[in-house]
Amino acid sequence: MPMSRRALAAAVVALVLPLSACGSGGDDGGTTDASGKVEGDITFQTWNLRANFKSYFEDLIAGFEHKYPGTHVKWVDQPAEGYADKLGADAAGGTLPDVVNVSPDLVAPLARAGLVLDLDKAAAKYRPEYLDAAWSSHRVPGMNGTYAFPWYLNTGPLFYNKALFTKAGLDPDQPPRTYDELFTDALRMAEKSDGKVATLANVPTIEDFGRYGVPLMNEQGTGFAFNDPKGVELLTKYKALYDAKALDPQALTATGESSGKKFLTGAVAMNPGSALDLGNFKKNAPGLYRNIGITDQITSTGHVNMYVMGVMVNSRTRHTPAAVAFAHFVTDARNQMSFAKKVAIFPSTAGSLDDPYFTKEDGTDETRVRIAAAKSLKNAVNYTPVLFSEQMKTALRNEVAKALQGKESPQEALDNAVKAADRLLQQG
Amino acid sequence: MAAPLRIKRQLPFGPWLFAAPGLLVTGAFVLYPFGSTLANSFTDRRTLVPGHFVGLANFRELLHDEMFWTGLRNSVLYILGVVPALVVLPLLLALLVRKNIPGITFFRSVFYTPVVASIVVVGLIWVWLLDERGLVNSLLESVGIGRIGFLSDQWLLLLSAMAVTVWKGLGYYMIIYMAALANVPRELHEAAAVDGAGPVRRFLSVTVPAVRSTMVLVAALSSVAAFKVFSEVYLMAGPSGGPAGEDTTLVMLVQRTGTGLTGRVGYACALSVVVFAVTVVLMLLVLRADRREES
Repeated sequence: MPMSRRALAAAVVALVLPLSACGSGGDDGGTTDASGKVEGDITFQTWNLRANFKSYFEDLIAGFEHKYPGTHVKWVDQPAEGYADKLGADAAGGTLPDVVNVSPDLVAPLARAGLVLDLDKAAAKYRPEYLDAAWSSHRVPGMNGTYAFPWYLNTGPLFYNKALFTKAGLDPDQPPRTYDELFTDALRMAEKSDGKVATLANVPTIEDFGRYGVPLMNEQGTGFAFNDPKGVELLTKYKALYDAKALDPQALTATGESSGKKFLTGAVAMNPGSALDLGNFKKNAPGLYRNIGITDQITSTGHVNMYVMGVMVNSRTRHTPAAVAFAHFVTDARNQMSFAKKVAIFPSTAGSLDDPYFTKEDGTDETRVRIAAAKSLKNAVNYTPVLFSEQMKTALRNEVAKALQGKESPQEALDNAVKAADRLLQQG
Repeated sequence: MAAPLRIKRQLPFGPWLFAAPGLLVTGAFVLYPFGSTLANSFTDRRTLVPGHFVGLANFRELLHDEMFWTGLRNSVLYILGVVPALVVLPLLLALLVRKNIPGITFFRSVFYTPVVASIVVVGLIWVWLLDERGLVNSLLESVGIGRIGFLSDQWLLLLSAMAVTVWKGLGYYMIIYMAALANVPRELHEAAAVDGAGPVRRFLSVTVPAVRSTMVLVAALSSVAAFKVFSEVYLMAGPSGGPAGEDTTLVMLVQRTGTGLTGRVGYACALSVVVFAVTVVLMLLVLRADRREES
């Protein structure tokens, strides 16, 4: 039956060909030289920004294409949920866009896989335009480069419910600023409310350990170190909060959304947020809005945590000059300032935070939050270790939960968390 | 009169042509991913690193992985909690609503509504209901029982997720049972009644034997679904799988291990292979039990 064999062979080829195409990421990329003519078609990917800022990005892209005739930017936006998975699938499939919105922890594995352009080599001339701390936030321990232009910064304020503070006999105008003050106030709040009002809704994260003054990694950046006595001390104090119901009983399974809801309903007295939350309080919880207090993040180091967004360039782009020029264009002082006026974010470019927009009061709450945040950003630290992956966060969270439930001692829990994180770090 | 249609020439690859679309889809979206998963389970592949052959190392590792045993325990508990309820309760419900009385269509629709509701919406509603300050706890407090930590206790969380699975699945299996009950001859019930059998006796001696094969089908379908449960537990216990991850199921573990930029794809594939193997064993056990019962 020669015909049927041929047909079968054709079917097999038809099946295998597209699959083999899927698997060929290929190393047919471009060059690290960004000095050529800025031209060509590039793709720019953002992280959940289309819904609220469509016109801003369309104008931004139009501005770039006008400045550099012969360029065309295709803009794609991905939802917040599963963004890392999407990047992973694109990177593995060889379809990573030319210019990508990333955070430092996302850029690290991509850089280690050789998929990100080293800007210290390809765009060193732009470095003086940015704040030093922001530029170095996209460095990866163990590698010698900088892998993304810093984009916008943020440091969420901490909201608190003044009415609950007053009811507990606490001074609503003197919210806690350090962890020691927080623990004292939280225990008092729980005692006075008979365990019905917790002060916090979330278990401590790696950033809490950082702000408490715990060294997160060893000096060489080769292993984690948050199981030192200071870390154990922090977790022991959180255990006391949990036992006294000063930490919400559902904190072990809380998400950002669920803790926000608890704050809205008055079940929790303090919650981190952003200036955008004020509008939400005004609309959904007017009673809370009338009693809202705003303070800085709790810190015992004098430095609040800074969240950094970046824009990386795919090392395999076919149009390196255009991709680098566009990534710089998106993050330059003028465009960052323009973006900051549309949403509560802060530019990472040198001198921008001294603009009157970030220093001059106009009597509104929004401006008050903005000015306070801009001020604290000037000496803020990015406490999230670049190499701290999602799996490591889960390992820490689970061990912290075991300590809070009394299934492990704080020392055992942190030792186990460090062991798990180190193992994941070594596995790459 | 028109001449009868006749195929003039039979192409030897004709059947292949007809089967090709189905074969291509099955090959691309079922067989290839399955083969790829199997192959990857013997490698140390990561999301961005191709990986090398490591033999049975992943399978050896999962034997010593505490989270694997937690996931396996929870998935097995899920079967034990959910399957008996989903075999029995929909049958009783089907018996209730099969009678043609005025307004019965309304009740049938109501019982079926959870099946068509989005699992995300259902999950969120149940989270609101069972929250520390939700409706259920407010009611319990008002009658003096006090608040219960449905969403903060490891076991209550798992039980709550099981309750949601049962609640959401009742209508679906009810429809299957209604179809089976329609085929039970009325004469059998009449004969049993003449012999003096009451409603319970008739249910046990007539209805249950008549729908036994459907019960086996429901047991098989619901046990496979229960073993692979993800959404209910994920939505109620959160992405970390409950307090300290103690409510993690095997499928949640696969998702957590294998996704993200640093996902351990090889290890997640080994976990998937185990899930597949256990599912096949489950099916075989149910079918074997059925065959033994028949003989």
